[in-house]
Amino acid sequence: MSGAETVRKYDPEFTKKVYQMDNGKWVKMCMQCGICPTTCTLRGIMDHSPRQIIQLIRAGDKEQVLQSNTIWMCTSCYTCSCRCPRGVPMMDIMHDLRHLAEEEGYITNQSHMAQVYYNDVAKRGRIWEGGLTLKYSLKLGVGNALKLAREMQDVGMEMFKHKRLPIFPPKGVKNPAKLRAVLQKAAALAKEEG
Amino acid sequence: MGNKSVLVVGGGMSGISAAVEAAEAGCEVYLVEKNSYLGGRVAQINQYFPKMCPPNCGLEINFQRIKKNPNIHFFTLAEVEKISGQEGNFDVTIKLKPRYVNENCTGCGKCTEVCPAERDDEFNCGIGKTKAIYLAHPFAFPMKYVIDAAACQGDSCGKCVEACEYKAIDLNMEPQTVNINVGAIIWATGWKPYDITKLSNYGGGRFKNVITNLSLERMAALTGPTEGKILRPSDGKEPQNIAFVQCAGSRDENHLKTCSSVCCMATLKQVNYVREQYPDANITIYFMDIRAMGKHEDYYQKVLEEQNVKLIKGKPSEIKENPENNNLLVLAENQFTQEVETLEYDLVVLATGMEPATASDKVPAELNYDVDGFVIDGPPTPGIYAAGCTRKPGDVATSVQDATAAVLKAIQSTVRR
Amino acid sequence: MDKKYGVYICSGCGIGDAMDIDTLVEAAEENNIQACKTSPFLCGKEGVEMIKKDIEEEGINTIIIAACSGRVNYDVFDFGNDKIVERVNIREQVAWVHEPDGPDAVDEEEDHTGRHAQDLIHMAYAKVKSMELPEPYKIEDPSKTILVVGGGLTGITAALESANAGYKTVLVEKEDKLGGWLNKVYKMTPLRAPYTDLEDPKVEEKVKELEDNPNVTVYTSAKIKKIAGGPGMFDATIEASGSEVTERVGAIVLAAGSIPVKDEYLTHLGYGKYKNVVTHAEVEEMAKNGKIVRPSDGQEAKKIAFIQCAGSRDPERLPYCSAACCVESLKQAIYVNELNSEAMTYIFYKDIRAAGTYEHFYKKVQETGAVFIKGEITGIKEADDGTLTVESEDVLLGGKASVEGVDLVVLATGMTPRTAFGQEVELEISDDEAAAAAEEEKAPADNIIASDILNLDYRQGPELPTLKYGFPDSHFICFPYETRRTGIYAAGSVRAPMDMAKAVTDATGAALKAIQCVESTARGAAVHPRSGDLSYPEFNLNRCTQCKRCTEECPFGAINEDEKTNPLPNPTRCRRCGTCMGACPERIISFKNYSVPMIGNMIKAIEMPEEDEEKPRILVFACENDAIPALDMAGINRLKYNPWVRVIPVRCLGSLNLVWIADAMSEGYDGVLLMGCKHGEDYQCHFIKGSELAEIRLSKVSETLDRLGLESERVKAIEVNIMDYKKIPQILDEFAEELEELGPNPMKDF
Repeated sequence: MSGAETVRKYDPEFTKKVYQMDNGKWVKMCMQCGICPTTCTLRGIMDHSPRQIIQLIRAGDKEQVLQSNTIWMCTSCYTCSCRCPRGVPMMDIMHDLRHLAEEEGYITNQSHMAQVYYNDVAKRGRIWEGGLTLKYSLKLGVGNALKLAREMQDVGMEMFKHKRLPIFPPKGVKNPAKLRAVLQKAAALAKEEG
Repeated sequence: MGNKSVLVVGGGMSGISAAVEAAEAGCEVYLVEKNSYLGGRVAQINQYFPKMCPPNCGLEINFQRIKKNPNIHFFTLAEVEKISGQEGNFDVTIKLKPRYVNENCTGCGKCTEVCPAERDDEFNCGIGKTKAIYLAHPFAFPMKYVIDAAACQGDSCGKCVEACEYKAIDLNMEPQTVNINVGAIIWATGWKPYDITKLSNYGGGRFKNVITNLSLERMAALTGPTEGKILRPSDGKEPQNIAFVQCAGSRDENHLKTCSSVCCMATLKQVNYVREQYPDANITIYFMDIRAMGKHEDYYQKVLEEQNVKLIKGKPSEIKENPENNNLLVLAENQFTQEVETLEYDLVVLATGMEPATASDKVPAELNYDVDGFVIDGPPTPGIYAAGCTRKPGDVATSVQDATAAVLKAIQSTVRR
Repeated sequence: MDKKYGVYICSGCGIGDAMDIDTLVEAAEENNIQACKTSPFLCGKEGVEMIKKDIEEEGINTIIIAACSGRVNYDVFDFGNDKIVERVNIREQVAWVHEPDGPDAVDEEEDHTGRHAQDLIHMAYAKVKSMELPEPYKIEDPSKTILVVGGGLTGITAALESANAGYKTVLVEKEDKLGGWLNKVYKMTPLRAPYTDLEDPKVEEKVKELEDNPNVTVYTSAKIKKIAGGPGMFDATIEASGSEVTERVGAIVLAAGSIPVKDEYLTHLGYGKYKNVVTHAEVEEMAKNGKIVRPSDGQEAKKIAFIQCAGSRDPERLPYCSAACCVESLKQAIYVNELNSEAMTYIFYKDIRAAGTYEHFYKKVQETGAVFIKGEITGIKEADDGTLTVESEDVLLGGKASVEGVDLVVLATGMTPRTAFGQEVELEISDDEAAAAAEEEKAPADNIIASDILNLDYRQGPELPTLKYGFPDSHFICFPYETRRTGIYAAGSVRAPMDMAKAVTDATGAALKAIQCVESTARGAAVHPRSGDLSYPEFNLNRCTQCKRCTEECPFGAINEDEKTNPLPNPTRCRRCGTCMGACPERIISFKNYSVPMIGNMIKAIEMPEEDEEKPRILVFACENDAIPALDMAGINRLKYNPWVRVIPVRCLGSLNLVWIADAMSEGYDGVLLMGCKHGEDYQCHFIKGSELAEIRLSKVSETLDRLGLESERVKAIEVNIMDYKKIPQILDEFAEELEELGPNPMKDF
């Protein structure tokens, strides 16, 4: 990720900010053992390993942390947390960081995807892959969308063949109003606690 | 028997040291050991770091001290069942398991020649077998054979009884109880290697070629199951690519919460075992911090100068086995390169940490323990002192110092009354 | 002692199958003995009863047991302290290691195994004949007072712990008040579970405890001018407040402590150059004052960087790890956080060495949010405003790390033992001697640094010998309180780099050893490794030629000299290894139960075959501690070797007197093999340099052998450790082959 000549300036401002978040205390507890990077199934497509994210927070490198796709790629599978010798709930830290990225206006492809996905689920309680793809493409802009479409065309065709990329939206859950109530309640709770 | 006497529980290095130090300071000492021999864990160790000298040398001197000193009374196959009373005046009940071999035993070994039954050789970490009547290891002290009742076929066989010219075998020996009164107690039941089957992500107990550092000690020892050759358990081949994984179960909230403090030096020492036998072998050490304290730093630096020894800062997350050749794939992020690496080895040694024996076998008295089960001495029962790895993890020299210190505290307990 | 001899021979465990026992009895009876009996099971009840009966009825008091190794059934043949019992190992060292003699072997004179056993019985007879029961060396009114040198944490602990066990204690501190380093610290690192809490040093409380204890005498602003004598009778001359007092003490705990690494080892980190670069000590001072500030302007330090291994783990400075600096920095990180929770701490480290239970403490410090950066420091710069920029490698993220605007850089300073300072002592030798010494190979002298702490009135130098880096520690893993000056035990950070919790344990352990020493000395018994031994060397000074070999070679500095270089032995300092006995060319040094003539008689006791019999004889001197057990183990494993060897156990090869080699050669032995412990840097010799001295002595023998027309290859020394038992047959058989090539000893028929 970095050449020998890179000099990283450690700055406490961002570090302290993250320390104060819900799971900031856990950021402090990481001892950089390095078990999480290879525990994480998505490490291959993350631009920084979870361990690096922690140390980047300590370095105060806000850009690298909030720009990274790592915080969005975390699927909260909990495996790293189970294995962490310090018991650090990495997925919760990632959750905090996603919030922070939103707040601070760090818009990335991954944050778009998360937004689109959430909207879709909130609306009907189910994912409509076709619509999701379309909305995500719109967020990316036409040029980027076309590029992505080219890259992903094999996957897309396969999904299409197996009826996994429907053109029409699926039926929503039986009672979408109830779903929204649940989501609203969750949001309210989160606000109270946060 | 009187209040000037001290009970030492555990006949390993700490317990033996406490016993001889106390006796040589003038105390009457009772030493209680659960195994059939004295020496404990150090008897299983091939060489000590950093001198690479054999533990049997120091044990020999200590056994001489025991033999010559009429103040020391020791019991093997013994466990403390009950403690009552208080500092300066403890009544202790000791239970003696039957050895099935009496004092007539001359150590000639005729009995093992005829014994048809076998048992796992726990002294050699389960590598290999012994007969049901056996001597735990060639340097066993006292040099008296013992029968494993679980493996022995009993009266229906009786071959050993016939073979013994000295009427030393008594298959109907009964357990005994001994009561003593002492002024103070030193608890030194030591440690056991952390159970590696709990390290499932490392294949502990599942993959044949993932072994503990203690198993490696047995293999490297001349008295061990391979007569000193380090070999892959799966096929007996000479390993050429060996990985050591530090903190295997130590410094870990899921396992032992503390640092076991000896595994770093133990691994560096074991690197030298391997190098001596296989100068061309490639050795990799996965570590978090190398804790080579004090002058041990010299030893660490020497190992670093060795060819073909590589350090990777990074705790592996997983070890997988190649089912075809039983080789092992170790997955880790190498922080020196910031790259994720999957490297193949033919032998992986887990630098297994120390779990105190008192994590499971508590002192039969009211005492406090720390999070890992190490004894915290003092109230609620003053007069019982933990020594060596019962108090905190430590290397041999530290444990002996600790045992020596515990003796003075014990003497204070006896003079206070 | 009016000796009545009984020889008891066991035929069990295959001994009877390997040799003709009747011939053995006949051989035993060739000596002037009062009884000789055999038993198929000598260690059994009947066997032992048989001996006891002879003791009672026949008055037998000198008993030779020809049976198994004394290491096996060691407790069976105990007939009380007023009897001499000698074990002849004809099982592990004869019957089990040689081919059994055939039924007609005796008639055909092919009874090699039996002859070995016969010879061993003859040797044992010669031995017990030349031996007396030892009488302990008891001094009048032995002192049991413990002298503790140094009044810091270690010294205070050692004094209190000894006093609490009922022993009088004298504590000597050079400063005007007790406490040492503790006076300078704000808090101590955790001493007990859960290992997360800092402790108050409570110096006043400890001092009061000392003052209130009637067993303790404290001298402050005091210095030890001289310590003369030995255990049980040390006279320590103490200079305190302008006057001198002499305290008689029994044993000494050296707790002189350590001092932080010298300033010039810190200049590369900006110390002395930048005002805001300070050491641990200065932070302790600030923390005591309640505020951690920048020295440049007195402003509160809000961004603090610790640099670990400042001067330690550095080949050009202190190569060793100082073992306490990691936990000390962790502790100070807690200060920083407690005094100002907004302050930010960066810790530059190589490895965090919070070993053992300090892991809990490490976690506690992590909770403060301290940032750890792993890598070597690459630069420190000062900005115009006095703040600093610290640059280092960044192992955790790759590349380099830089922390700017640091208010305070704290150097985690390593420690140097106080014993490391001073001139190295070179023993005075005259020009003649120097010339002779240049030719002669000598054992390397102890490394003694005149650090002006103990000022021992010892011929071999005024302080404890030091090992690497000036630490007077033990070289033994199993025996961390092994000491090369009897009765003087080093403890705390003078002995080895260590943290406070360890120093407390160490102080307590050393105090016990000191107590043990005074108790043993009072009984007239030796301390480790021959603990309990009641014998001691006696000097027949009428025949002394003042050659000084004994005074120079004693590994424990036990022997002083008068102005005419006569040896002045100090038996309470002696460890009974017999090195002096081996060194003496005039053979004037003897123990009651171990002497030059005794071994000489053993050498001569065997029946030496004629040259044409083609039965070589090889004499083996084997160290009791390692080589004898190795020989025993070879037997226990039934490893086979030639029956030509005759083994004589020695206390230590250091006790080997060259006259024995001459005796052996003139007696007709074809070769002599010395089996001793490993020497050199990682020595295993329990008497430090016994085996090395033996080899050096041996190097001088070749000339003599040449003069006698004998090949020097006939005498050889090898290192054997207890685990070499599988090599024993190879060692002995190869030597036998070498001797065979040389042909028989031409002295045989003289």
